[in-house]
Amino acid sequence: MSRLAPEGAALSSVAESEFALASRRRRRLTRQRLGHAAAPYALLAPAAVAIGVILGYPMYLLVRMSFEKYGLFELIRHQGKWVGTANYAQIFHDSEFWRVLLRTALFTVVNVTLTMVLGTGIALLLLQVSRWLRIALTTGLVLVWSIPVIVAVDIWRWMVDYEFGVANWSLQHLHVGNFVRHDWFANPWTGFGVITALIVWGAIPFITITIYAALAQVPQELLEAAAIDGARPWRIFREVTMPLLMPIFVILTSLSIIWDFQVFQQIWVMLDGRPTSDYYTMAIYAFHQSFQISEYGLGAAIAVVMVLFMFGATLVYLRQMLRAGEIR
Amino acid sequence: MAQIELVHLSKVYSGDVIAVRDLNLEVAEGEFVVLVGPSGCGKTTALRMIAGLEEISSGEIRIGGKVVNDLAPRDRDIAMVFQTYALYPHKTVYDNLAFGLRMRKVPKEEQKRRVEEIARVLGLGDMLQRRPAQLSGGQRQRVAMGRAIVREPKAFLMDEPLSNLDAKLRVQMRAEIARIQQALKVTTVYVTHDQVEAMTMGNRVAVMRDGRLQQVDTPQRLYDAPVNLFVASFVGSPAMNLFEAGLESDDGKLVCRIGDTDLELPSDLVAERPSLANYAGRRVAVGIRPEDVREAAGWDGTRLRGRILLVESLGSEQLVHIEIAAAPLERSDLVDTAAQLPGPSLGVDDSERSVTLLGRFDRHLLLAPGEAVEVAIDPRLLHFFDLETGAAISRVDVPVATPVAG
Amino acid sequence: MTSGTQIAPTPILPVAPRISGRRRLHKLGWNVLGVIVLVVMVFPVYWMVATAFKPGQKILSYTPQWIPTSPTLSNFRDAINQPFFWDAVKNSVIVVTVVVALSVTLAFLAALALAKFRFYGRKGFIVLILGVQMVPLAALIIPLYILMSRLHQVDKLTGVIAMYLTFVLPFTVWTMRGFLLGIPKDLEEAAMVDGATRFGAFVRILLPLVGPGLVATSIFAFIQAWNEFIIAYVFLHTPQKQTLMVWLASFTTLRGTDWGPLMAGATLCAIPVVVFFLLVQRRIAFGLTSGAVRG
Repeated sequence: MSRLAPEGAALSSVAESEFALASRRRRRLTRQRLGHAAAPYALLAPAAVAIGVILGYPMYLLVRMSFEKYGLFELIRHQGKWVGTANYAQIFHDSEFWRVLLRTALFTVVNVTLTMVLGTGIALLLLQVSRWLRIALTTGLVLVWSIPVIVAVDIWRWMVDYEFGVANWSLQHLHVGNFVRHDWFANPWTGFGVITALIVWGAIPFITITIYAALAQVPQELLEAAAIDGARPWRIFREVTMPLLMPIFVILTSLSIIWDFQVFQQIWVMLDGRPTSDYYTMAIYAFHQSFQISEYGLGAAIAVVMVLFMFGATLVYLRQMLRAGEIR
Repeated sequence: MAQIELVHLSKVYSGDVIAVRDLNLEVAEGEFVVLVGPSGCGKTTALRMIAGLEEISSGEIRIGGKVVNDLAPRDRDIAMVFQTYALYPHKTVYDNLAFGLRMRKVPKEEQKRRVEEIARVLGLGDMLQRRPAQLSGGQRQRVAMGRAIVREPKAFLMDEPLSNLDAKLRVQMRAEIARIQQALKVTTVYVTHDQVEAMTMGNRVAVMRDGRLQQVDTPQRLYDAPVNLFVASFVGSPAMNLFEAGLESDDGKLVCRIGDTDLELPSDLVAERPSLANYAGRRVAVGIRPEDVREAAGWDGTRLRGRILLVESLGSEQLVHIEIAAAPLERSDLVDTAAQLPGPSLGVDDSERSVTLLGRFDRHLLLAPGEAVEVAIDPRLLHFFDLETGAAISRVDVPVATPVAG
Repeated sequence: MTSGTQIAPTPILPVAPRISGRRRLHKLGWNVLGVIVLVVMVFPVYWMVATAFKPGQKILSYTPQWIPTSPTLSNFRDAINQPFFWDAVKNSVIVVTVVVALSVTLAFLAALALAKFRFYGRKGFIVLILGVQMVPLAALIIPLYILMSRLHQVDKLTGVIAMYLTFVLPFTVWTMRGFLLGIPKDLEEAAMVDGATRFGAFVRILLPLVGPGLVATSIFAFIQAWNEFIIAYVFLHTPQKQTLMVWLASFTTLRGTDWGPLMAGATLCAIPVVVFFLLVQRRIAFGLTSGAVRG
């Protein structure tokens, strides 16, 4: 029921006088009530339909396709062929799949850890520096935050260019080693190093600014009370600040896991749309299976596995949002 | 337990905003001193400097004879109760109480013993496993008190600890805090803006205004002999009636002219206040407490004629607003403006010359608005103040009066 | 004031708050670290802009030129003259405009229902909206391709618009709802007590107050649609139909890597986003996580 039925009570008491009038009014009343009850659904309908058709149905389709043989032939016929769990059996028996899964998991762990640690560190740094520098830093962070991903990829590609890249020149002149014409992507470890740098660099602003905002919300007198109670700065941070920031940390970490586990465009564009299998992550692997060798059913199965892996992080995120009172 | 001394203590913010100005105050061992004043008077800043939460611009703070200027809060061995209680929301009541002990590395069993003891005394025994969010306002207040007590510190600092409670609970906790302090005999500095709280709780009360200390005294002395207009208007509820009057010398006798009425000042009164004679022919500020305004029946001295504007019945007594002919005090810069009655009532022609006098009358008197009354004012109960400086024209046995500074 | 007869207080020397030398040194250390972080974070962006303004031979030099001493616009000219640049601009503008208009309208209606009504399934819908954002695009793109090819929407802007609309909806609904919740119910009720009808209260009170929220939400939708790459890359094959991000990503493949014009093009693509972002950045952060820290 809607709360928005202000006329209801007043009307019913007036309507006693004349029977015909009363019944007419009562009928109008119920129609009105019905109207009020339907209003939110009507308002919601357009968005719900759009989400249902273009998000909901494809999700169903994804799951169904993962149980079907769906190649070029089926694409043209618009009809897959049911094969049960054959797709899953095939990918689970493929050592490539396990390598990709492991790589993606490792990549996610490294990226999320670096993002959270550096993001939090810079947020704490913001509390320590002078005012002018704090303003300069936040402005710089927002600038970085606003750079579109594809633009960011191009910038980093240019910076690590094997011939004229500023990274090679700098490392050479800092005597880190021989970086003349060093190709970062020849070795997947250094290649992923560059991609990690790019992703962490791009993710830090959001993390830092959010944590900084949260830090500013921690009541000052709690910290003062702890100081008077005898805690040293580090203890205050551990005993008071950290626990209060925990909900934010959980939300940010789960979001980062979700975002980094499905990484696609940074790798794809960084490697000119031709990543070697050394650079496959779950998303790229699924994409490759579907669109490059037209095994849509296999690709769908891989994608389903990917979604299931991310499900945990999503649940944690939703639960924390519920707890924090964001969902009311 | 220790005494606290503030010596020429000052706090200057960003160059020119002076929050506390040359504050000198000594809190004896086991004493309960209340810092009171309107908001922004510097009382909280002073308290926070004692706690070590605020840097000292100049001057010295000594706790137990030791200069603590450069000591961190944790090394000063004081406990503080905050206005918002500042309970750690993620810790249970037990952990909140034990936190200070844990930080000071008190052995576990000892922690447990002391926390449970305090919880029992404060009636928090059943709530040790709850979190602050699950407690009522009064219970949170108790936990905040308990957290201070359990540490057995040298001194308690309390920053408006009752201002977040509703009126009834506040009265109850007021007595409870005072009782706990008396039982433990811990030196206590208590900050409040509520003068009733200050008067009822403190051994001594320090009135502050605009960063300056106005007067430090026992509640009774503060009430009976305010050193200036500000203290006079701030202390007491309802506040002291204040208006302007002329002092005239008539045949060697001093006469106080209120409106058109001449009030002769007895010679013993003048003798007690030698400087009063210097004011002959000048205007002064005159004050009288509401309970000293009396119904004139049976009074053979001079009477003031007035008209009743409003009668507020309090049950035990009645507060009567009486309009009399007198010059209103126009030095709002010298008084606590919050305590002053609004200007003359609607429909009064000669607003310049009328003042609303508040009287505290017996509940059995039959009084009605609009009635004309005569009030008796005993000149011996009047308070006199310099109109320029606001300083009391005091009796010889009273400490030096101070001008209202700020 | 009380001049003249005042007893002079002990003069206060104009002392600055005493900061011990050790503390000042501490502060200096933090500031040095802060400057290093600032330089490291901002350098890539600086390097893009600096490269965009450098003439070709300065870019292709083994010793980097840190500051463009002889700035030129020739890279920008080259970028604009690249094939299909104006097509891409046109497509991006069309897509973004339609997506913003539609998504904000739909989101406003949905948010109105979520924020101002209590009804069965409300909470479920909110959870759905939050959860749905977590489904990876890279997974959904496979069935979406199948769906769109059935609907004959592959290589068509309309298909891309429909998909963008759906993908920005959850976030826009969520933020719009936040803005609507921020408007106290008392205001509407006060208007109704003062004699306005329910609709009147809506038009006169709610709508003006939610204006900033509509603007912010539009900008979120703009940024998301402008930046999107995967869908545009997969669904738009013909070069004339590609959006700016696809144009930018395929820049190098046209005639090797020409860094100057590429950086100029990248700068051009980033400018609108940077401008809009600076306008609403606070709300983006708070939209996702606000209220999670509470005492």
